[in-house]
Amino acid sequence: MVDFRPVLLVTGLALTVLALAMGIPAAVDAVHGDNDWLVFMASSSVTLLLGGLLVAANLAGRRKAFGIRQMFLLTVTGWLAASIAGALPFAFSRLHLSPTDAWFEAVSGVTASGSTVLRGLELLPPGILLWRAQLQWLGGAAALLMAALVLPELSIGGMQMFRLESNSAQGERVMGRGTKVAGQMMLVYVFLTGLLTLLLWAAGMSRFPALLHAMSTISGGGFSTSDGSVGAWHKPSVDWVILLGMLLSGAPFMVYLQIFQRRWRQALHNSQLRWYLGLFLLSAVGIGMWLLLTHGVKPLPSIRHGAVTAASVLTGTGHATLDWGSWGGLPVAILFFLSFVGGCAGSTAGGIKVFRLQILFTSAKVQLIRLLRPHSVVLPTYERKPVPDQVRESVLGFLFVYCLSFAVLSMLLGMVGLDFLTALTAATSALGNLGPGLTQTVGPMTSFMHLPDNAKWLLSAAMLYGRMEMFLVIVLFIPDFWKH
Amino acid sequence: MFLLDIRPVLYINGFLLLILALAMGLPAVADLAVGLRAGGQGEWPAFAAGAFCSALAGLALILANQGKGEPALHTREAFLLTVTSWILVSLLGAVPFALCSLKMSPTDAVFEAVSGLTTTGATVLHGLDHAPRAVLMWRAMLNWLGGVAIIVTAVTLLPALRIGGMQLFRMESSDKADRVKPRFSQVAWGVLGVYSLFTFILVGALLTAGMTPLQAVCHAMSSLSTGGFSTSDQSLGSFGDGARWICVIGMIIGGGSFHLYVAPWKRGQWAIFKDSQIRWYLMTMLFFALSLTFWNWAVRNMGAYEAFRTSFFNVVAVLTTTGYHTNDYDSWGGFAEIVFFMMAFVGGCTGSAAGGIKIFRYEVLFAMVRVHARRLLHPHGVFVIRFNDMPVSDLVLRSVLTFVMFYFFSFAGLSVLLTMTGLDDMTSLSAAAAALGNVGPGLGKIVGPGHDYGSLTNAAKWLLSGGMMLGRLEVATVMILFFPGFWRE
Repeated sequence: MVDFRPVLLVTGLALTVLALAMGIPAAVDAVHGDNDWLVFMASSSVTLLLGGLLVAANLAGRRKAFGIRQMFLLTVTGWLAASIAGALPFAFSRLHLSPTDAWFEAVSGVTASGSTVLRGLELLPPGILLWRAQLQWLGGAAALLMAALVLPELSIGGMQMFRLESNSAQGERVMGRGTKVAGQMMLVYVFLTGLLTLLLWAAGMSRFPALLHAMSTISGGGFSTSDGSVGAWHKPSVDWVILLGMLLSGAPFMVYLQIFQRRWRQALHNSQLRWYLGLFLLSAVGIGMWLLLTHGVKPLPSIRHGAVTAASVLTGTGHATLDWGSWGGLPVAILFFLSFVGGCAGSTAGGIKVFRLQILFTSAKVQLIRLLRPHSVVLPTYERKPVPDQVRESVLGFLFVYCLSFAVLSMLLGMVGLDFLTALTAATSALGNLGPGLTQTVGPMTSFMHLPDNAKWLLSAAMLYGRMEMFLVIVLFIPDFWKH
Repeated sequence: MFLLDIRPVLYINGFLLLILALAMGLPAVADLAVGLRAGGQGEWPAFAAGAFCSALAGLALILANQGKGEPALHTREAFLLTVTSWILVSLLGAVPFALCSLKMSPTDAVFEAVSGLTTTGATVLHGLDHAPRAVLMWRAMLNWLGGVAIIVTAVTLLPALRIGGMQLFRMESSDKADRVKPRFSQVAWGVLGVYSLFTFILVGALLTAGMTPLQAVCHAMSSLSTGGFSTSDQSLGSFGDGARWICVIGMIIGGGSFHLYVAPWKRGQWAIFKDSQIRWYLMTMLFFALSLTFWNWAVRNMGAYEAFRTSFFNVVAVLTTTGYHTNDYDSWGGFAEIVFFMMAFVGGCTGSAAGGIKIFRYEVLFAMVRVHARRLLHPHGVFVIRFNDMPVSDLVLRSVLTFVMFYFFSFAGLSVLLTMTGLDDMTSLSAAAAALGNVGPGLGKIVGPGHDYGSLTNAAKWLLSGGMMLGRLEVATVMILFFPGFWRE
């Protein structure tokens, strides 16, 4: 039998952190003189109680070993618990959201997706706005840690390529190195958030929205404080800063650590980063050209809007300067395929991730050579290292399950009544933690409030499933998992 | 490496063109015969001219490239042969369309010929019910010829070239060099025999179901080859129930593995019933048919039997990549559209005339996912991927991977290019999927069932023709020609 105690213990700790986080919007609302601070205090106490109980009941598990099964379980229970707790303030605030809507908003926040069921964001109390941004920021941080520490250990979808270097040494040192890297990453994350806040402020946002946008940008989330997303500011300088932030959020964070440690060579030779930027440039040019040629946008703005749109969809952020939901045609086709890609592994972005495409490409190249010269010995390589067969199989397995999940999800969305294109784009966008889809009904400047409740449940489940890289969930359904 | 020798390639191409010329003679003769009796439609000059052209081209190629002894085909020549022969035959097969009384533009003629030969079944023609009979017959014949050509290619050539994991289906004795050739032609003749036999049976059955001889022959040819060219704008919608069910059976057979029909009995048991691919194929069909039945029954308030009948028929038509339709399934709502869109990516079995990714590749992919999931729990376990109770080698896995990757990238590229010609997203996505999977009709008001491709721009037609060719030749066969290593010594 799987030992649940260590899992529940850590989940309890995560809830405690979340409870403490709820104190901040409570304080803000209290200062602002808004009655919602009571809701936040109440939610915080409930969460704290729940977390505390879990911790107290499972203290005995603190010395237990943390095996593979526990890691799988922990990630799943952690995300679920955070979503439920995160929904409490939405449910009880004066927004009067239905349970479905509150849950959807919380999941969309925690998974850093960024689709919202709210409308009239400009008029909302600051506490709720802050809480949305906080959820994304915390979710982004959790995703980052998961991608750096947990996924490589569990070999999810070829992530074993990114195991920390000293892993071959003894267990203790691995843990030591792990915590060290985690700490450094969090420092970088906080630093980048601060930097973006300052830049946004300098670019002309007032302080509060600047902070919230910095949080929702660096986490790849995309919640805004305005219904018109970033476009509502109508300031090119703001757009450029947001663009920078989105690109930063989708790049491998390990590169930032290397830069801070002045290991320039390693940072510059990161092939994933190059592919990522290449892909971004290509699609940005495509969309920019389209804006320039068919919409009569002037050259400089069309570059800007093209770049922001491409980066937003590629990194799964979802900030928008123009409403791409109303475009149709060429750009939507580009964005549709781009939304499958997502950012780099080891970033806050969702989706398939750039490195998996690289592995596919190098394997395909080798395969073509083999077709011509059946007896040649060529190995697929990634950053000049051969790619083991197992990694390639994991990557392919991952991709296949991704496409399959996409197919099933879009069929289900069709079943609850969405039209063809809305269902397809909403499905990829939820799976890839992008948030908005590519049609009018689910566009970046529309609210998801009008979707049927079934669709909201499906989409929120898909967001969690995508955030957990699918296999963390799938493994729980293998009978072997529960046997020992 | 050896120098690329294109002479044998051209030599064999010449022979294929002669066969095409002979085939064109058939509608010409039929038209002439009918014309003599009943003051006919006079389409025979177009076909005679077409036959003359391809016979001339064929003879020229043969005479110019006659070598001493047997033509030797190495890997690269075989790739080149596959690609060039399909292109050449399509181009010459288009000649009658351009010359006949319909006066099709070169683009349209090529599109129609490519669509016919690749057994896609997308048409640019409107008013089929009143089209010249010789043209209708030629379209069905293109379907039929393309169907048998791809089956023979799939059971003989592609396994040898190891395209997309097809080496799994390599004939058992193919590693013994001396027996390759007799075995090769034996299988090819076997396939041709079975294929013709099924066609005759279907023609007979359709005649008894009340079709006219021309309709029966055309539909028999286009259903068995999973082509889908019909003699009516309403496709099978204009025929009765009996004819529809017979066509369904024809399509199901056409989407199954022909190497199993040739040798259904292996090692003392019915291999055809033990084959996992056939089982998955039928189960997939049933799954989609039942979910659409449910949708039509529960949401669209159809009667239970009516819902099952229409759903099953249209599912079979799209899943086997035939592309017939009885109803405008595009108007069935979002769910149905998505299901039909997804089905274009599935396709039939290997060794069939159907297109798409094919069932066996999905089996391999599923097996791989199962292994991946188990390995997550047991990182040091040893797992073997099996297909039909036989372990699948790493090489096969890799080629399946490459195939699927190329397929999806071609799909993405093609649909983005199609949107550049000004088409909307739904039309582009579904047309790209339908062309690559050799299905035929897409979705939406432009290329959906009941509509034709005639209204598209020329650029879109050329793109789609390219897509059909790419899909038919299993993508990698074409891709490899663009690989710099191919032309280097």
